[in-house]
Amino acid sequence: MVNVNRRYVADFDWTLFSLALGLAVFGVIEISSVQPSPGLWRRQLVGVGIGLVLMFLITLHDYRRILNAAPYLYAIGIALLLLVQTPLGKEVNNNRSWLELGSFSFQPSEMAKIFTLMLLAYYLAGVRKRPLDLRTVVVAVGIWALPTALVFWENDTGSALSFTSFLAAMLFLAGVRWSWMAAALVAVVIAVIVVAPRIKNCETYKCERVKSVYWPDLAKKRYRYQNEQAEIAVGSGAILGKGPRGSTQGGLGFLPEVHNDFIFAVASEEWGFIGSSLSLATYLMIIARLIQIARRSRERTGMLLVAGLAALLLYHVTVNVGMVVRLLPIMGIPLPLMSFGSTSVVATCFGLGLAISVRLRRFVN
Amino acid sequence: MASDRNQSFDPTEDLRQAGLRLQIIYYIAIVIFAALIARLWYLQVINSDGFRDRAEANRIRVIPIPAPRGTIYDRNGKPLVTSKSSYNIVLSRKDVKDSEFPQMADLLAEHMEIDRQWLAKRFEDAKIEAKHESIVIKELASERDLAWVEAHEYEYPMIRAERAPQRLYLYGQLAAHALGYVGEVSPEELKKPNGDFSKEKGYKLGDIIGKFGIERKYNDILMGKDGERRVLVDSRGRIQPQGTIEVIDPVPGRDLYTTLDLDIQKAAEEQTDTMPAGRGAIAVMDPNNGEIRAMASRPAFDPNVFSQRAKTPEGKDEIRELQTDEERPLFNRVIQGQFPPGSTWKLMTSVAALNEGVITPTDNRIQDGGLQIGNYPMRSISNFGKPDIITAIARSADGYYYRLGLKMGVEKFEKWVNLFRFGEPTGIDLPGEYKGIAPTRETKRRSWSRAIKKAQQALDEASPGDKAAKEFHLRQVQREAEWTDYDMASSAFGQGQNASTPIQLLRYTGGLAMGGQMYTPHLLLRAAPGVDRLGNQQPETYYGDSNKFSVPMSKEIHEIVLKGMAGAVEYGTAGAARVEGFDVCAKTGTAQVASTDRVGKKNKDHAWLISFAPRDKPELALVVLTENVGFGSTYSAPRAKAIYDDYYRRTRNLPPKTEETKAENSSPGAGARSPEARTGLQDSQPRVQN
Repeated sequence: MVNVNRRYVADFDWTLFSLALGLAVFGVIEISSVQPSPGLWRRQLVGVGIGLVLMFLITLHDYRRILNAAPYLYAIGIALLLLVQTPLGKEVNNNRSWLELGSFSFQPSEMAKIFTLMLLAYYLAGVRKRPLDLRTVVVAVGIWALPTALVFWENDTGSALSFTSFLAAMLFLAGVRWSWMAAALVAVVIAVIVVAPRIKNCETYKCERVKSVYWPDLAKKRYRYQNEQAEIAVGSGAILGKGPRGSTQGGLGFLPEVHNDFIFAVASEEWGFIGSSLSLATYLMIIARLIQIARRSRERTGMLLVAGLAALLLYHVTVNVGMVVRLLPIMGIPLPLMSFGSTSVVATCFGLGLAISVRLRRFVN
Repeated sequence: MASDRNQSFDPTEDLRQAGLRLQIIYYIAIVIFAALIARLWYLQVINSDGFRDRAEANRIRVIPIPAPRGTIYDRNGKPLVTSKSSYNIVLSRKDVKDSEFPQMADLLAEHMEIDRQWLAKRFEDAKIEAKHESIVIKELASERDLAWVEAHEYEYPMIRAERAPQRLYLYGQLAAHALGYVGEVSPEELKKPNGDFSKEKGYKLGDIIGKFGIERKYNDILMGKDGERRVLVDSRGRIQPQGTIEVIDPVPGRDLYTTLDLDIQKAAEEQTDTMPAGRGAIAVMDPNNGEIRAMASRPAFDPNVFSQRAKTPEGKDEIRELQTDEERPLFNRVIQGQFPPGSTWKLMTSVAALNEGVITPTDNRIQDGGLQIGNYPMRSISNFGKPDIITAIARSADGYYYRLGLKMGVEKFEKWVNLFRFGEPTGIDLPGEYKGIAPTRETKRRSWSRAIKKAQQALDEASPGDKAAKEFHLRQVQREAEWTDYDMASSAFGQGQNASTPIQLLRYTGGLAMGGQMYTPHLLLRAAPGVDRLGNQQPETYYGDSNKFSVPMSKEIHEIVLKGMAGAVEYGTAGAARVEGFDVCAKTGTAQVASTDRVGKKNKDHAWLISFAPRDKPELALVVLTENVGFGSTYSAPRAKAIYDDYYRRTRNLPPKTEETKAENSSPGAGARSPEARTGLQDSQPRVQN
């Protein structure tokens, strides 16, 4: 615990905070634009508020002390993921990824990501070996595999794959041999080569979603619809956009899940290339800032923790924007800070709070 | 790497190496973001126009507002066909997915009483259409239908009620064949390249076009310019509150004044209604200019079936019945019925013979009575000894014309058939006119050409031993194809390979009345100025006769024609057409029905009457065809009389006839009791087949 004194105020990462706040506010504006009834955007505003408070609270604590609780948090995350499969869970759009507690519902997978990331940082930082030995890698993969499997069970492929993003980044940074990295990369390439032709003939909805991006002629029309409408939304925004509340693709309901996974499409429609590229640049600045914090960290725990967060953020932005602009198949992945969903916003703020905490303590050691 | 082999852990070195690897992650992030921004550039900057159009197409729905067709009037401005306002139920094609259609069809079948199969076909047809079109699923919607649609506005936004003008034929089947009927343009018509109603000409599915008669011929005049309502819709096709962006009002089609005279038309309808076999035709024309005053054909139909009931199951049955009825009610006998002209043709032969000098106005007595040509006996019911031509016309002396034909010869005869333009369509402004058959050598040759070709082929393929027989057969067939005296004699009085439509005989009659001046029969008097269906301003339009011609006929010859035809009424075969004070000139005729079975009613002969009146300053020319009434022309003359009588009294301001006398004079049997009519039985009746 540190006192909120002049030094804290001076050292606090106002840049990172401002960038995140800007995106969150932009998100609320866009949600209110396509869902003008106050219910949704007010809820989002509350989520952002909670997130920011949590972020400040986290920064007041030493991240290493928080990380000491990582095994327990991890256990809680796993428990929540299991709870989703009980009658308390709720199925939305084929995905069983919601927990409903009274009028309050949230997505345990969003929390589980951060907790798993923390446990990996905690564990890998404690292994004082470079390069990493096989045993360490196996344990790390074990930590990763459990929540990943549970999220797969939810049928939430996008979120399940997000665990891989920070596992890979953290193993890489913790010192996996180059040869192992290369082998993993080759394995991925081979897998893609083997799987791709099979997808062409496969007709499950997941395959259809892949086909509608890469082989649109083979895909069924109703699966192409979302991609096409998102493309129309983004493209019709042109350079300057249609202006605030000008979204017809989102506003008139041509885009599904518009306040949620497709919020970036609405932003692109209303603010054009200027708006879409500026918000992407903001995300890049946040990620760059995180990477800088990781580099400046004087010890392994903070470095791994913040780098993992950067990788997770990079994954989310890439997959979400990639699916909106039809470069990647549609997966139920929220755009951090902007998409509607308190769990995602709070989890992201929690992560950013940890990062700021790491930065605040970069000279202490 | 050095550190890789070093098992001791150096935190500083560890962080240094991690820093290098972090730099790699940073580069990866930059590459990914560059790719995303490049894609955004491609969508939002390079290709934005296309996406903008698609976004607009998504949110704006164009709802057509059909324009009412122009009103059709008679020559005196009395309305015959109008448009009244009503509602159609339409289905927005775009907003129903193929997979949802069966459910939708069930729903509509249940609540709107729409035939499910018909709906399925309609849905299928609409696939070739531009997406924003809606398809009409029910016409003349009832209050109940409208209430249902309104009540389910939110649940089924793709079902809407739209204003649609409905064509109303005020007098039902009156002049139905001339006026025609309307219906939706068919997918086949739309697809036909260079067709009158093709997509290239701006027609689209759902357009109501003329299908027959004036409605079709003058569709471009009558059809208005559709308006449209552009509305904002959401992804389910629901029109947004205050969603109307723009309304373009429809422009009604131009009004059309026909040459028809409602009073004469009514009289003609009344006379066709009483035709014994229910089949026949009456056409009335002003011989001074070719304007059709009346046109009636039986059996007839009510065009309202097509415009108002085409989508109800009962209406569909009615239409199917009309289309498959063996009596062919949709067939306009005036322009599509082809019958031997019979004795009406004798005037043609007379004019030809007088002009060619075969006979002269002073020297024209020829033997009447039966005749033997080769092995063929040609009987003549009449035998007036050696009558002059006026008597021969008035009393319809067959034998006279057998011999006159033979005396004239085929060259001269053919020349006059062509001068009168028999065997050619008159060019009346109605679609589907038939051209008849001209009795010429060419016609006969053509009718034998297949047999000759076959015989020639048989000869070519014959074995040497068979050659002689085949050659004989070929020569026989070739000889059959040659024009014979028998052909000449029968053609001269209107039989043989000879067929005319009533409209051809009407024009011919007009020519006889006018001393050879022939006008093209037509129905368009004028079209009011206005906007056409493509939005262009059009001035008042009149009919222009570019096809009038005249047949050479000296005053002397014309006088003989007039005397002969007046004589037919005064003392000859057409006495039943006589109207006191109106100087009717007429000629009867019998169109033989060539059949081996003459017992049935269907195979009785057709009775013709061609006529005009008054003799010296003709106002009307009139042709009556009464089908299958059997021997005698007495069935047609009284019908002409009734029409003339009505016209005469009306135009001379005389009191109308009392009901009793009217009934007596117009009933088919009435003429048969008069002495003139008995001579009428002497009309040409040679009982030979060809």
